[in-house]
Amino acid sequence: MSPQRRVFVTGLGVVCAGANNVAELRALLASPRRDFRPPTVFPCQGATANFPAAEVAGFAAALGGEIPRTHRLALMAAREALGEGPPPDAIVLGTTTGGISATEEALKAGSTSPSDYRYHGLDTVALHLADALHVHGPVLTLSTACSSAAVAMSVAQALLRAGLARRVLAGGADALCRLTFHGFRALQLLAPEGCTPLDANRAGMTVGEGAGFLVLESAPEERPVLALLAGTGLSCDAYHASSPHPGGAGAARAMRRALEDAGMEPSAVSYVNLHGTGTVDNDAAEAKAIHQVFGATLPALSSTKGLTGHPLAAAGAIEAVISVIAMTDGLLPANTGLATVDPQLGLSPVLAPTRAQISTVLSNSFGFGGNNACLVLRAPGAEMPADHPRVASRALPALRIAGSACLTAAGGLDETWNALLAGKSVAGFVPDAAFSKAVQAAFVRRLKRLPRLMLALAQTAHAASGAKTPPEFVAVGTAWGPLAETQDFLRKLFETAEQFSSPTDFIGSVHNAPAGQVALLLGATAPNLTCSAGDRSFAQAVLCASLSMAATATSALVMAAEAHEARLSPLLHPSAATGPLASDGGAALVLVPDDDAPGARVRWLAEHGDLALLEERQTGPYDAILVSVPASLAVDAGERLAKLTSAGCPLVIFRDRLGQHASVGATAVALAARAVLEGVLPFASAPIPLPHKRLLLLELGPRVATLEVFA
Amino acid sequence: MTEQTDPLLPELARKLVETLGLDMEPESVDPAAPLIGAGLGIDSIDTLELVVMIDKDYGVKIDNRAAGVEAFASLGALAAFIQQHRPASPA
Repeated sequence: MSPQRRVFVTGLGVVCAGANNVAELRALLASPRRDFRPPTVFPCQGATANFPAAEVAGFAAALGGEIPRTHRLALMAAREALGEGPPPDAIVLGTTTGGISATEEALKAGSTSPSDYRYHGLDTVALHLADALHVHGPVLTLSTACSSAAVAMSVAQALLRAGLARRVLAGGADALCRLTFHGFRALQLLAPEGCTPLDANRAGMTVGEGAGFLVLESAPEERPVLALLAGTGLSCDAYHASSPHPGGAGAARAMRRALEDAGMEPSAVSYVNLHGTGTVDNDAAEAKAIHQVFGATLPALSSTKGLTGHPLAAAGAIEAVISVIAMTDGLLPANTGLATVDPQLGLSPVLAPTRAQISTVLSNSFGFGGNNACLVLRAPGAEMPADHPRVASRALPALRIAGSACLTAAGGLDETWNALLAGKSVAGFVPDAAFSKAVQAAFVRRLKRLPRLMLALAQTAHAASGAKTPPEFVAVGTAWGPLAETQDFLRKLFETAEQFSSPTDFIGSVHNAPAGQVALLLGATAPNLTCSAGDRSFAQAVLCASLSMAATATSALVMAAEAHEARLSPLLHPSAATGPLASDGGAALVLVPDDDAPGARVRWLAEHGDLALLEERQTGPYDAILVSVPASLAVDAGERLAKLTSAGCPLVIFRDRLGQHASVGATAVALAARAVLEGVLPFASAPIPLPHKRLLLLELGPRVATLEVFA
Repeated sequence: MTEQTDPLLPELARKLVETLGLDMEPESVDPAAPLIGAGLGIDSIDTLELVVMIDKDYGVKIDNRAAGVEAFASLGALAAFIQQHRPASPA
């Protein structure tokens, strides 16, 4: 095995219940005390007032129109992590709630003003950081429910190892909001007295909030090394939309992968920071997974969620900070809240803060969609090498497209291709008939439009690949996620004076719910990622697949889609359009490592805040540049596009023909892959020869992302 | 099977089919058949969806395992459970 580049932790930042920075968290871990109360950031009346939350104190709720709480928590922790250091090359953020708190207020007030919904996109959190911290490189957002931040760490590690960045700000952020609080309440997963993880009488979780960040570097020069991110491991249960695999199979796989990635035996682990939410099912499944991985000799372990509550997408980052503090301070954190250890679990958690030398920590994070992510953090040892390569690699490898599918107003890939050849537009909504028959009715009974579109795309692309076994790795892009589920959940909540909501809609509302369904359909148990970064979501899914496949040769399903929702979509200004341009749909690709087989290839090239700086990664020459311009930017895109014409090849601005939605870039890539093979580009306004069989795709949003497709 | 028809049954059957999006006519739900499991394909999430509906529409809370087992034994059992626990004035 080739030596992996080491990833060093050189900065920490945190905010969570009971601690507004690392120093306060340190003190809190040494003498734990918790103060769980009903949330104050939104009204809680009647039966809802009986459930406490773990709120960050002294941090006022945003008023209408202000920057949402998630964004502010994230910036606070990010600034602490970076300190006086230079800006990072990239940001990788995990979040599930984004600016939903602002959307909740707007929906409650019945607002129809798009500006009240401008923070709805998950991308807005990381963009807020990028603006404030002057970050010019990739700004990635992962949304895999409660494993989001740990997944973000894994992607950041891969970026560093691939040489695409030398310094990454990686972490997660989520704020208390109605959606998650009432959602978990409807699932009867909230503990009335506050969570007591691993307790025989545990009665559920306590929703928390906060943000955590690590500064990760491949070649630290200025700042002292606090720890190493030695390994990460991801897996998917492919078992159930919201419940963990009862035997902990997926969790055990992720733990083993993280240890293998770190090159370590389980016996080297000195402490495990458990996911330990305090729900009956999570703690039981996690305990089984622990026994499978560690056998007879268990390391010290505890869940710190009895102290911090469960900060959802931020949990993996806050607990990574706790893991580093445990090593630097020589302190085993206590399993706060525990009175009677559940004998069924067979675990002996740390009951009170205990001094110990800790060299290696395993940190677990698991989420809806059976999404598991584990991190191995190590204390900086004497053996720390200084021989890491300093030269960034020029590009990621290309991936061969073994199968593809798309959905547009014209239907599937063939219908879309033929309609375009006939000079027709395929913009508009995907007709039900185009996707309703791909998957069994019983499988999709509870699912709304977005997961159904995704399942049809996944099934069709897999079938088109001709492979006997489906791809195991899944990377999904979606800018807006399951909007119908979100809107229906909140509508019902507000219709009942904030008393009742739908558990089905809550489970369906998380951005990675469709990816979880795809995993269930295909039995895909490898990493399962969902990227939600506005119009760059598909490009980021391709990036994640490329990073993963650089390490493990396997096949990947990479896809992106959006589903129109009548009330919300028109308000989500940045990439939706109203009237005749309003569209939805998307595309899926089965990607395999590049080989000698014929077919088209796709390669992720770059993401940058500045168009001019993209040039260096392009390989060219290109027959055409396919330009994806969001409706809201069409007016001022002219100036930016003028710079591109110097590239000397025709520009094809395609959204008017292919549809105006955030994932239409995926559709363009599926069509471009066919175009370079057939020698005709059906969505250009005039015939364009394709002698080079090479097309550049440019996503022109608030940041620019580029992919190339060639044969 | 049932000797007398609970007046709540047709209403509950309709709500069951509507709430869970079942592909069947409300009249074809057997009031004596087990509600959860193979027959209707109802699982734990559906059950929670019904818990919310019953709380919202009838003011009856089903918030522990024993109550759940009793209430969801069948549609008939659910109707009886609601009648038995309904607050005096409608919620």
